[in-house]
Order: sequence, then C-alpha cells, then structure tokens
Amino acid sequence: MPEQKETLEYDVLVVGGGIAGGESALNLANIGYKVLLLEKELTIGGKMILLSKVFPTLDCAACITTPKVSEISRHPNITIFTSTVAKKINKIAEHRFEAVILKKPRYVNVPDCTGCQLCEEACPVSVTDQYQYGLVGRKAAYIPFSIASPRAAAIDIDNCTLCGACERACPTKCIDFTQTEEEYLVKVKSVVVATGFNLFDPLKIPRYGFGKFKNVITSMQMERQLAPTRPFNTILRPGDGKMPDNIAYVLCTGSRDKTVGNPICSQICCMYSIKQAQLLMGALPMADITIYYLHIRAFGKGFNEFYAQAQDMGVEFVKGKVGKITENEDGNLILRYEDIESGVVKEAEHDMVVLSVGVLPNMEISETFENKNLELDPFNFVGQPDILASPAKTSIEGVFVAGTASGPMDIPDSILSGGAASAETTSYLRRASL
Amino acid sequence: MEAEKGKTHKYLRERRPVPKEVTEQLKVFTKTKKSILNALKEGDKTIPQLSEVLNMPKEEVMFQLMSLLKYGFVETGEIDDMDEYFYYKVKDNGKDKS
Ligand SMILES: Cc1cc2nc3c(=O)[nH]c(=O)nc-3n(C[C@H](O)[C@H](O)[C@H](O)COP(=O)(O)OP(=O)(O)OC[C@H]3O[C@@H](n4cnc5c(N)ncnc54)[C@H](O)[C@@H]3O)c2cc1C
Ligand code: SF4
Repeated sequence: MPEQKETLEYDVLVVGGGIAGGESALNLANIGYKVLLLEKELTIGGKMILLSKVFPTLDCAACITTPKVSEISRHPNITIFTSTVAKKINKIAEHRFEAVILKKPRYVNVPDCTGCQLCEEACPVSVTDQYQYGLVGRKAAYIPFSIASPRAAAIDIDNCTLCGACERACPTKCIDFTQTEEEYLVKVKSVVVATGFNLFDPLKIPRYGFGKFKNVITSMQMERQLAPTRPFNTILRPGDGKMPDNIAYVLCTGSRDKTVGNPICSQICCMYSIKQAQLLMGALPMADITIYYLHIRAFGKGFNEFYAQAQDMGVEFVKGKVGKITENEDGNLILRYEDIESGVVKEAEHDMVVLSVGVLPNMEISETFENKNLELDPFNFVGQPDILASPAKTSIEGVFVAGTASGPMDIPDSILSGGAASAETTSYLRRASL
Repeated sequence: MEAEKGKTHKYLRERRPVPKEVTEQLKVFTKTKKSILNALKEGDKTIPQLSEVLNMPKEEVMFQLMSLLKYGFVETGEIDDMDEYFYYKVKDNGKDKS
C-alpha cells in the first residue's frame, strides 16, 4: 500500500515532461500560474534530451534542451515530480479537477545528491541501460545520463542486491532504502496532457531480423550512438564492434503499414534519417550511406534543402521496398528489395542496417480519466475535436493536449503545440475569474 | 523510521528478499568482467580476438566490454590496420575499483 500523503493544490497539472509538456509548463509558470509537472521517468526532457543533433539546422539537441530543462527545474512556479504517474483524474466541475498521483521511490534524497557518481562506481551490479536503448550496461545505482534533470542518482531496486556499497560510498548519505511509494491527491483547475509518443517495436516485423541480427538497430539506437553521451567509443556495430562503412536505412519501418496496424505516416522519420545520414558522413568519412524509401516527406521549412544537401554530400537514395533482411556469417546484412522504378527485385549487402521506426500513440493516459471520456482519434492519439480553430482542445473542457500526444510531429511543432496548449489553458483559467 | 542513515539497505533487506536471479546476474557479470580484464592484461585485443580467447559470442563481448569501458576499467587503443576493429586495453592496470 502506498503511503498516503497530504493534498496538493496547483493551478495546472501537466502530465508528461517532454519538450511539449515542458514548454506548456514554462509558459504557464511565467504568467504566474502554479504548475505541477508529472514525469514517469527519472528525468524530464522526453525523447529530445536523448537526441544527437536536430534537423534541419543540425543544432546540438542538448544545447537546446539543457537550458530549457534547467529553466523548467529552477522555476519557482513549477513543481516537478519525477518517477510519477497520474493514477486517476476526475473532473468535479468547471475549473475543478482532482487527480490521484503515484510517486515511485527513487531511494535517493534528490536535494542532497551532488551527482558525484561515487555510488555508481561502488555498485557491483551491471544491467542493461534503458536510456542507451540496450546497447550498453549501467549500474543498479546510477545517474540516468550526464545531462539528466535532476542529475541525481537513483536505485534500480529490481536489480539491486542490497549490498550497501552505494550507501557506504555516498559522501552526503542521501541514499535511503526506507523510501516507499507515495500517493497524493492533487486539486487543480486545468490539465495539460503531454504524454508524447511510443516508438514502434521492430520485433513486430520478424523479416527484418531485429533482435536476431545484432547489426540491425533502430534509429533511436543510432541516435544514441551519434549523441555526445554515446554508449560506445565511436559508431560501432553492436554485433562485433566493427566500425561500419556501408550503412543502410529502411524508412517507414512500422509506419504506413496496415499489416502492423499503423497505416499513417510518422512524419519525422524521413527527416531524422536524412539527418543521421549527414552526421554519419561527418563521423565516418569513408562510409557509404544508402536510404531505402517509399516517398521522401520533406514538407517543413528548410526540409527540402536539407534533403538536397544530403544528396549533394553523397547519400544514396533508393526508391525501394525492403522485403527481407538476412545475415551473412561475417555479420553483414543482405537486403532484398523491390526497386520501385524498375519493378525488379534486387539484393544489396550492407554492414549495418538502421530501421527508421515510426511514431505510435501512447494511449494509457485516456484510461486515467475516470468520470469523463478523453476521446482518441481513429489512430489512438488524443483527439482534437476542434483541430482547426482550437488545436489544443480535447473532448473534455479544461483538458488540453500538447505535442506528440496528439499525433506525430517534430520538435518545432511540439514546441508550438505546447505553446498553443498553454495559451488555451490560460484563456480557460481566465474565464474562471471573470 | 528506525533505520540508521547510511545503513538503510539493512532495513530493506529484512523486508524485501533479494531475488535469486539478481544475485545470479551479479555473479555472471563479475566472472565475465574478470575474464575480460585478465585476457586484456595479457595484451590489447579487439572484440573478435577477445571472443576467440574467451570462447564467448562477439555480441556478448561487445556489450560487456563497452560496459567496462563506461565504468572506467578499460580504455580504447588504436584501430587495426584494416580500419575495422579497435584494440582495447586495461586502464590503470585493471585495478578493480568495485
Ligand atoms: C530517432 C528520432 C530522432 C528524432 N530527431 C528529431 C530531430 O532531429 N528534429 C526534430 O525536430 N525532431 C526529432 N525527433 C522527434 C522528437 O523526438 C519529437 O518531436 C519530440 O520528442 C516530441 O516531444 P513530446 O514532448 O511531444 O514527446 P516525448 O518526447 O515523447 O515526451 C513525453 C514525455 O511524457 C512522459 N510520459 C509519458 N506518459 C506519461 C504518464 N502517463 N505520466 C507521466 N509522464 C508520462 C514520457 O516519459 C516523456 O518524458 C526525433 C525522434 C526520433 C524517434
Ligand atoms: S516520414 Fe518518411 S519514413 Fe516516416 S512514415 Fe512518413 S514517409 Fe515513411
């Protein structure tokens, strides 16, 4: 049984601490509203904080995220609860919502942790690092990654042997194994849903061999390999540590594909693949990069130029539908694909394959709403009943949606959407005081 | 609570038994770490070379070695003549910090 804590009161509850939720929270806090920001992970920043550089400007993702994230964490009007989810949300009346939130123990007193990493060094356990998407290990006492916010340790209790090495090593005695789950009742006037998206799991397409062939990786794993907080010493094949020199991208993996239940375009994967291809050409100057695509969706500002830039750099674009991937004894991969221009089935060998996985809805939040129905759209993203006039509105008055919770979009659009949600929330809250 | 600061793991140990798999997993890692570090003490090696001497799949060597690199036991050396595989070596003479 979780420990029952005191009742909390805020103006707005923002669920999800990615870039969209963060932007909404920041805008609302700057106007003077008190915001409670819930994040289920150990750190805020969402997917963006894990990216390398961003299209189409190739700015470093951390350089944009870190200042924003630290502004959010330091803002006097924002309270952040990490490792926390909303269990239920009820609308009592207009401008009156009640949420029950559940905070999992981190086993570390965050304000006392200096991020010195001595616990990490002392911990004897090594398990798979979820923040490096399984490419490398991490300790059971660990700081998620160097730019995490809060940059504080956490104990992975499920893999901890309770040996006490971390406690002995900690100079500030901030590790506390007596922490338990805490449940709070939160009263707010409005809610922003910014729970983001899930990545498509390529195990659902067995013919691509992901999981079985270690040199077939996802785009998120490549993103980690390209980031400054990378898992390896450089870009390497997870199968044997070889520096790849002939990398293929398979676009639309799990998107525009009825057979896997996701008929829509994910909007970002063409562009992030083109971005990664450019970054790879910089990191591995001798490497050949081939992108297998159905159509290139380069619709945003500066996107088509970015695509042309990749072509000029020598990235090869093949209009082809990849049917099957097989593995050679040396770990190289054979792609069997239909060349769409000629209609001929061809084969090509590459030493590493990146699956450009698509954007899936994160549906769990809709079940959190108890007495009102948070309607989803036909593809299970949060529905926008008034998409043209009020894109942040949901089926529940007083509940607004921000970012990829409402559909696939890139970072600039997620920030715009976070801004729209904060503006509509403000206007809803102002009506309460009229 | 009655737990003493700095020794709270004892408090939880009484209330939450450590699953067998977790202790087992620690044993496997400690053993693998030792064998990789010992092999590297004999001389710098690439991942395929380590895989051969340790008779361990390359992908597993890769995962464990990269973890040891992250934890500071190992460092990266030169790349081989074909520009394919890096050599890895023990750091600080493989002094076990944990
Ligand atoms: C490989 C890859 C590369 C990309 N590269 C680029 C790029 O170069 N340029 C670009 O513009 N875009 C890029 N994107 C897209 C970008 O990541 C998204 O646009 C952006 O992260 C969306 O932000 P968000 O806040 O909507 O969602 P998310 O980043 O998914 O954040 C949602 C947050 O909510 C939390 N959450 C979820 N459910 C709950 C819950 N129930 N309770 C509490 N918290 C919850 C999550 O833990 C997460 O922190 C890339 C995406 C991928 C996959
Ligand atoms: S953005 Fe490109 S890769 Fe992604 S689903 Fe759409 S067309 Fe396919």
